[in-house]
Amino acid sequence: MDSPTRRQFLATTSAGLAGILAAGVPPARGQQREISYLCWNNFAPASDKKLAEIGQRFTKDTGIKIRIDHIAAPQQAAKYASEVQTQAGHDIVEMRMHFPWLYEPQLVDLGDIVGELEKKYGKALSAATETAKVNGVWRAVPQYRTFFVAAYREDLFKKASLKVPDTWEDLYTVGKELKKMGNPVGIPISQNYDTISTAGPVLWSFGGMEVDKDGKTVRINSPATEQMIEWYKKMFRDCMEPEVLSWTDASNNESLQQGKAGWIHNPVSAYIVARNNKLVTADGINHHRSLAGANGQRHETDVPRHIGIWKFSKNVAPAKEWIRYLLAKKEVYDEYIMSGDAFNLPAYTNLVDHPVLKTDPKFAALKQEGVQFHCYGWPAPPSDKIQLITNSFILPNMVAKAVTGTPTKEAVGWADKEMKKVMAG
Amino acid sequence: MAVGGIRVATASPRAGLTGRVRELFDREGVLGPLFVTPALIILLLLVAYPFAMALYFALSNAFIGRPSHLVGLRNFINLWDSDAFRQTFQNAFVFTGIAVAFKVVLGISLALLLNQQLWFKRMIRGAVLLPWVIPTALSTLGWWWMFNSLYSVVNWTGIALGIMDPPGPNWLGQKYYAMAAVVTVNVWRGLPFFAITILAGLVAIPKELYEAAEADGAGAVSRFWYVTLPLLKGVLAIVVLFSTIFTFSDFNIVYVLTHGGPINSTHLFATLARQIGLETGRIGEGAAISLYLFPVLVLVVWAQLRFVRKQAY
Repeated sequence: MDSPTRRQFLATTSAGLAGILAAGVPPARGQQREISYLCWNNFAPASDKKLAEIGQRFTKDTGIKIRIDHIAAPQQAAKYASEVQTQAGHDIVEMRMHFPWLYEPQLVDLGDIVGELEKKYGKALSAATETAKVNGVWRAVPQYRTFFVAAYREDLFKKASLKVPDTWEDLYTVGKELKKMGNPVGIPISQNYDTISTAGPVLWSFGGMEVDKDGKTVRINSPATEQMIEWYKKMFRDCMEPEVLSWTDASNNESLQQGKAGWIHNPVSAYIVARNNKLVTADGINHHRSLAGANGQRHETDVPRHIGIWKFSKNVAPAKEWIRYLLAKKEVYDEYIMSGDAFNLPAYTNLVDHPVLKTDPKFAALKQEGVQFHCYGWPAPPSDKIQLITNSFILPNMVAKAVTGTPTKEAVGWADKEMKKVMAG
Repeated sequence: MAVGGIRVATASPRAGLTGRVRELFDREGVLGPLFVTPALIILLLLVAYPFAMALYFALSNAFIGRPSHLVGLRNFINLWDSDAFRQTFQNAFVFTGIAVAFKVVLGISLALLLNQQLWFKRMIRGAVLLPWVIPTALSTLGWWWMFNSLYSVVNWTGIALGIMDPPGPNWLGQKYYAMAAVVTVNVWRGLPFFAITILAGLVAIPKELYEAAEADGAGAVSRFWYVTLPLLKGVLAIVVLFSTIFTFSDFNIVYVLTHGGPINSTHLFATLARQIGLETGRIGEGAAISLYLFPVLVLVVWAQLRFVRKQAY
């Protein structure tokens, strides 16, 4: 066969190039199926390593290349906003709590995948459903959940013969002793999310709420809130140190790990980090069931995480393939959950009693029997206004004002006014 | 010759074209705009376009990823109802006023010191620039550790020296201390800019003026007051102008150190704008927060530039 002349070569390649440009689609042989996935730096770092490992296997099995990027949680909102505004960026994004409500018009309907998962694993847990199903449409797939629990220094409690608290009132009783021992209770009262994660359950356990379930009526100005404030005031005065006013989300973990705090309200990450880094405090840390309020009800903060696909993505099909690979294959999902050391727990009802809870005797309390889980703002359904109330730190600032000298009624009245302004805006 | 003739014949139009282009470039009216155009394009793309977008957002009900429409000045009016915003407004003036005042006084002092004959003068001048050179987020993280309640080296030192009672001040948890902390870090970071710029002004003052003043019997204070300060006015005005704008729009220091807390007592326009605009998706309100002080800053710039021009002529 004669080799093509220069003229033939130019004519052929030019025609081909013109065809590709006109169609806007590269030829099949040149098409690289590649997706990108943006998620946070998990507080259980082993699960990020496992995710990368599963990603490599996914590429091997499907031929779809996946790039997994990680970002610190506080940077997520800014990054997502820029991706949405520019309509460019990653195909798949990890979404915490109410994010699907914020980005609703930009997210692909993933009801088909959730349907398959629910058939296999049972219904998605209530907090996951409330936050990922927006106006009847699944805008993200529930991936896993993290919830708060009581973490305490069991060794110190035993040494001082202190009773493990069962109610928030009990915590005040033991908290006074802990402070005297130099191991105060560590509940942050500052502009961070851990503060909301504790203030919410305390408020709910006293029978209070920020906004009613109609999502419109502000209910913060109530006797229940005043009781909650009074509880915080005496806790701050007798069981804690003023440093909690400056804490970040990590401070309570560090305080427990470094041997200062005797009791904190946090997910198991505080213990996991202490154990994995072989800190001297690790053996002495344990967990107990979330505390009850005066009415006997136990409420707790749930932090569901989901996976969403941007509508601007040109790779929706392979992106869905990745979600199915990670979550719908039972053995892969189990492997992923196991790597998270009980920080990442399954988001589906039939998997609640997951084997990961048996990997360490200190995870026993994570069964959380009789505990009701909610997201921020409960019982109001998630919305951009509830998100604004949360992100404006009105609840933490109300408590901070009260414990630093503002009269209870005035602090509650301030919060009421601020929340009403948000709802009216 | 024939070959040479051909050469001449083909070269001639080329030379004519090149000549015409050269002639065109020799004209100031063409060359000037040509040189300015790239800078103008960059300014339009990186300054004018984002500014116009910010202005549009501020006047609209823009929410991330949703269609928006103009709402006039509603965002600006509604913001004034917010307790957090009013607090931020106050914080911005307190923070900027105190920080710039400290930077002026300390900057002049440091510049006067650096203007002396010192050993290792070059090394010291280089070292002074370090806070200015290190990325702000990184250095502020260092400061955060120093003020952190659990690890505070500031408190540890104070207690060890007996000048603080245990556990020491709650730097980031008490509003006045928190403001003091963010101002301290801002002054530490901005001081080199003041010192080095004022030093450049000091070096430019003719020595003869000091000699003449000394001959007239002027002491050190009088020489500073009647020679140095008047001749530094122009430089000072420019430095204060830049620093005022930078300090008003500071973000990193507050974001890393206090996140705007406690109870919004250290929020600045940039940190509040991020909280509202990005974390809750309300870009319109976020942009309005960012632009709230724009008219005031324009006035400040105009007044100071006018002052500088008067000094120059």
